[in-house]
Amino acid sequence: MTDIKHHAYLFDATRCIDCRACMVACSVENNIPMDKTRIWVAGLGIQGEFPDLHRSSMVYHCMHCDHPDCMSACPVGAYTKAPDGPVSYNPDVCIGCRYCMNACPFGVPHFDYDKGIIEGAFIDKCTFCPQRIYNGQEPACVQTCPTDALEYGNRDELLKKAHERIAAHPDRYIDHVYGEFENGGTSYLILSHVPFSELGLPNLPETPVNEVSEKVMEMTIPFALGWGAVLTAVSAGVAMYDKKKNGKTAEEQAEESK
Amino acid sequence: MKLNITLPKFLRIGTLPIVLIVLMGIAFVVAMIRYIFGIGAISDLSYSYPWGFWISFDLFTGVVISSGGFIMAGTVYILRIKEFQPLLRPSVLTAFLGYIMVAVALLVDLGHPERIWYMMIHWNHTSVLLEIGICVMSYLTVLAIEFAPVVLERFPVLHKIAHLIHKFIMPFVILGVVLSTLHQSSLGSLLLIQPAKLHPLWWTPILPILFFTSALAVGLGMIIFESSLSSRYFKRGLETHLLAKLAKAIPVILVIYALIKFGELAVAGELDLLFTSGSMSILFWVEILIGVVAPSIWFAFKQNRTNPNRLLTGAIVLLLGMILNRFNVSWFAVKHPDPLYYLPTFMSNVKYFPTLPEVSVSIGIFSAGILAFGLLAKYFPVFEDENRAAAHVGD
Repeated sequence: MTDIKHHAYLFDATRCIDCRACMVACSVENNIPMDKTRIWVAGLGIQGEFPDLHRSSMVYHCMHCDHPDCMSACPVGAYTKAPDGPVSYNPDVCIGCRYCMNACPFGVPHFDYDKGIIEGAFIDKCTFCPQRIYNGQEPACVQTCPTDALEYGNRDELLKKAHERIAAHPDRYIDHVYGEFENGGTSYLILSHVPFSELGLPNLPETPVNEVSEKVMEMTIPFALGWGAVLTAVSAGVAMYDKKKNGKTAEEQAEESK
Repeated sequence: MKLNITLPKFLRIGTLPIVLIVLMGIAFVVAMIRYIFGIGAISDLSYSYPWGFWISFDLFTGVVISSGGFIMAGTVYILRIKEFQPLLRPSVLTAFLGYIMVAVALLVDLGHPERIWYMMIHWNHTSVLLEIGICVMSYLTVLAIEFAPVVLERFPVLHKIAHLIHKFIMPFVILGVVLSTLHQSSLGSLLLIQPAKLHPLWWTPILPILFFTSALAVGLGMIIFESSLSSRYFKRGLETHLLAKLAKAIPVILVIYALIKFGELAVAGELDLLFTSGSMSILFWVEILIGVVAPSIWFAFKQNRTNPNRLLTGAIVLLLGMILNRFNVSWFAVKHPDPLYYLPTFMSNVKYFPTLPEVSVSIGIFSAGILAFGLLAKYFPVFEDENRAAAHVGD
């Protein structure tokens, strides 16, 4: 076991050379077919005007949010958030509704559209390589990265490292660590030299995306009980009023109206 | 039923059911292909667009057009406005079949249809979808109980059960109204988790309130629509005086709806989006014009409320506008993360357009609903009093 309290990744877009070794490593480690992947490289292609051309890329996989929207949305609770970081998915209870795919602001969970009910169509996403990190190893993508664009460690230490790097090269980086506060904090921290939207990252508030819907859900049971009580009172009141007005019981009226 | 030889009568009874059965058969075959080869084999759904036509049409539209059931049950049983009794049974039947159609469609859309009952044992209490699932399952049971007397009272011994249900109907009616309030509004809450994806013209924390308010208007519109069509098909009388009263309530609800909707946009400081969002602004205005402005003005005039044809016209316009609203919220205005270049092949589909097989599944399920409504209305006393006699003539 490790002494890491909050497993996290740090990605530095200035170091990524778009070699995609991480994709290969992930597929090999987790036995993912070649036409599917849990990790992919995203970016906006070649930018700027000649001779000032630049191309940026980003390694994209599950952000392992501190307040995961997939977990909040899943009706059957197929997602769990470990206190030390990883967000994991349990295929045994998944009903395949794909609400997690809608809920995830990063578009991370993927679904087996090519499988029928006999093979079973499931959600797939990055697991944080629990088989490795809980045995003192780095996740496969991190270990294979040739330029150290991907790093792994304790979230606090990585954050410190990220801010030190920005301070050391303020001309090279945007003064912001994506994931420090986005969506309530993520376990995937990103440093970049171009605006984060150019890397395909959504512009998210610091409050978790699921805050509003969870508040609404908290009100559901009290509202249902209150509304039920109001309706009962109304129907009793109207019945009494009817009885007084017509001098007949409700049953007699029901018989009559038949 | 004896064989009908004369052409007009054959046309009247035979053609529509045959067309419906063919459409059902097509949907069945397509659904089998989906079960064997996967959802991707028949639909354009992708990693970027996990929800498409099925959710917008079968779930969002299917649920909202079934809201007439709880409105009529509440009016007749809770408020005891007995004059609406003739509209109760058809509305409850529409709702009952509507929800069955929703459930059947979900069995095609879900990745694991055989696990749909997991919602009853695995509860994640923060999930809006769980609330909807539980409510729809419970309400389906309530509707079955509410509708059962119609079937049971035709049989010798079973009519006693029908009488018993009649006697203890109140708790079920109240439960039905509560469940309907919850899930009609929760369909709006379903989108609350997507503030980064749903366009701000539609995303608001009060989406559930907007959904419930519009569901009331749609429910009334649907009662008018369904009564008008069945009266034409079964050649029975139309309760125009009752429908006129429902139509009178529609502008009131729609004005309240519009006030909430625009009030929220004003409070959120998003009124400028009404004109600056390009195609989204256009969609928003089309939805408001067809679903709110046009029916409000139309039903405000008495001559439009007392004429059967004009009633039907107004109801159709209202339904189209409100269905567009549901499509906007659940599909057209939802933007999934897309500026991802050098994508692996599986991620490349960031556009979505429903395929023909996908739509044919929905059409087939809808056809089954219409056919079931027709058969039940023909052989059971769904339409009461003077209409019952008319229905028997057709036998």
